[in-house]
Amino acid sequence: MEKQLRPMIELKNINKSYVQGPNSYHVLHDINLTIAQGEFLAIMGQSGSGKSTLINIIGFLDDQFEGTYFYYEHPIHEYTRAQFSSLRNQNVGFVFQNFKLIQNVSIAENVGLPLLYAGQKRAYIRERVREVLKAVGLAGYEDQLPKNLSGGQQQRVSIARAIVTKPKFLIADEPTGALDSETSKEIMALFKQLNHDNDTTIIIVTHDPNVGAQADRLVHILDGRLTEDTEHKAKGRS
Amino acid sequence: MKFIELLKTAWQSLKVNPKRSFLTMIGIIIGIAAVITIIALGNGVKKKLINNFKLTGSGEQTTTIEFMSTDPKAVGFKQNDILAIEQNFSGKVQKAQLYTKKAGIQSYAQFGNDADTTVSLGVTTKPIADSLIVEGKNFTQQTFLQARPQVLITKELAKREYKDIKSAIGTPVFINNTNYVVAGIYRQNQLADINDPTSGDVIVPKDVYFANGISKTQGNTLKLTITKGENASKVTNKVVDYLKKNATAKDQGEYAFLDLGSMLEQLSKTMDTLTLFISAIAGISLFIAGIGVMNMMYISVSERTQEIGIRLAIGATPSNILFQFLLEAIMLTVSGGLIGFGFGWLFAHAIAKFIPGDITAVVTFNSFLLAFGVSTAVGIIFGLLPARQAANKNLIDILR
Repeated sequence: MEKQLRPMIELKNINKSYVQGPNSYHVLHDINLTIAQGEFLAIMGQSGSGKSTLINIIGFLDDQFEGTYFYYEHPIHEYTRAQFSSLRNQNVGFVFQNFKLIQNVSIAENVGLPLLYAGQKRAYIRERVREVLKAVGLAGYEDQLPKNLSGGQQQRVSIARAIVTKPKFLIADEPTGALDSETSKEIMALFKQLNHDNDTTIIIVTHDPNVGAQADRLVHILDGRLTEDTEHKAKGRS
Repeated sequence: MKFIELLKTAWQSLKVNPKRSFLTMIGIIIGIAAVITIIALGNGVKKKLINNFKLTGSGEQTTTIEFMSTDPKAVGFKQNDILAIEQNFSGKVQKAQLYTKKAGIQSYAQFGNDADTTVSLGVTTKPIADSLIVEGKNFTQQTFLQARPQVLITKELAKREYKDIKSAIGTPVFINNTNYVVAGIYRQNQLADINDPTSGDVIVPKDVYFANGISKTQGNTLKLTITKGENASKVTNKVVDYLKKNATAKDQGEYAFLDLGSMLEQLSKTMDTLTLFISAIAGISLFIAGIGVMNMMYISVSERTQEIGIRLAIGATPSNILFQFLLEAIMLTVSGGLIGFGFGWLFAHAIAKFIPGDITAVVTFNSFLLAFGVSTAVGIIFGLLPARQAANKNLIDILR
């Protein structure tokens, strides 16, 4: 399938450092990264390599950085913190390693939460939640509580929540880190399907080479510096 | 995000910890209940004042003068006394009428051959409650049809006069020129209304009492109707002074005006002081309760750091988070306020039954607004800081 390669995310000379106690850490060094719409990208690196910091910036979670970030040609680096909330809500879905579901509310309410914050009507939310739960293979689980579900199922709920607003891209931070290999495969298959069917850009952060290998494009991050795995790209495209 | 959704979210969070939520509310409940109770009673006293001594529905003011005799045969008000009052106070007193009380009639009774003793007498036209009878028999329908001179006396009185209450049954009692026979002994009803004969010491059939000794043209209680615009207390006191000098029975007893007006005014002043005092205590209670709310909200915020992070990550604005936590605090205090309002309402009505002067508690819509307003204010004041802390949490730190 030929993908439309319209530039979506353009990071130029991103630097990030933070101060903790008496020490100052320079976490990201001159990051340059362009991601096109519809790409399936994996960012691989050891813990402490700065990969989480990088996706926090890409996912509009962190507004404290140097350099320029254009998102569909909008200058994100000039946005205020208040604008970030709706930017996150409308454009990006997050999938976390430990699922991060709200434990005391039902699956349906967890999944529908982004739509609530977007100000949608209850009837539409109910309909849309049923739709996405079906898409991740959890039809009928609406009224369950998260604690009654297995890890794989909880991750599916978290994916459902990430895609409920029909975001332009998904960020998955170690999405299979807490799952066994069988379940990991299922979750990866789900990401591939979303990428294929909806043309949703997917950015996966992982330290697991098996997961990284399944992406169309692979970048490595080491001590805050990015290197493109061109070999993988060539292999993936051929 | 819609307000109703925020409300629902806040409710769900409070439900997670029902015990903690309830304990936090107790202080608010006590504070609000105390204020509502005292205000309702104060309103009751004021309403009573207005009803009795300003303008009644017909615009009339009435007072009563009692005659307390030292001589059992004396009669306080005779026809000529009444006429004299109406003549001397024309323009101020519209009408002077004998008032036949049903209970609390001060009278003399002679048990057997003992000396006279003062009793509080009540009359009745039907048997009293059987549950009150402890010895002997209650009145029956025959008692009233045949106007039998029977009397019921209290256990206390029987003990005092006869030592053994059983021996009292069937003995004669001389009241107001009539010989009665003790038919039964009853338990005095301390809680009864002042117009209920069982509140007194002695009960006799009404027809027997009024047929013998007390006539319609003379009696010991006089009811005055005061002309509109006059000061009822002043006029009545003047009538009493006049009676002391000029009445037929002036040497046989005392005329007294039970000035309910000034009594209630006194009560009203006392209520105002009491209201201030209790409000101050309630204020302290609400303040401490507010700190409790603040404490609980801070704990809640730190316990739910993850939840706050998740909400922020999926697109909640900081103000969404602020309102969610603020609403939780307000919902807590307002629920407490409303429960407190309910308790206050109940307490006020219960207490009103035990204070003299036939006061009813008056709970107004303003009291409701006060309870609602104060509890909302406590929620906002003490919920704002924790809510702001929740809203200003650093998302990156939470998700790390």
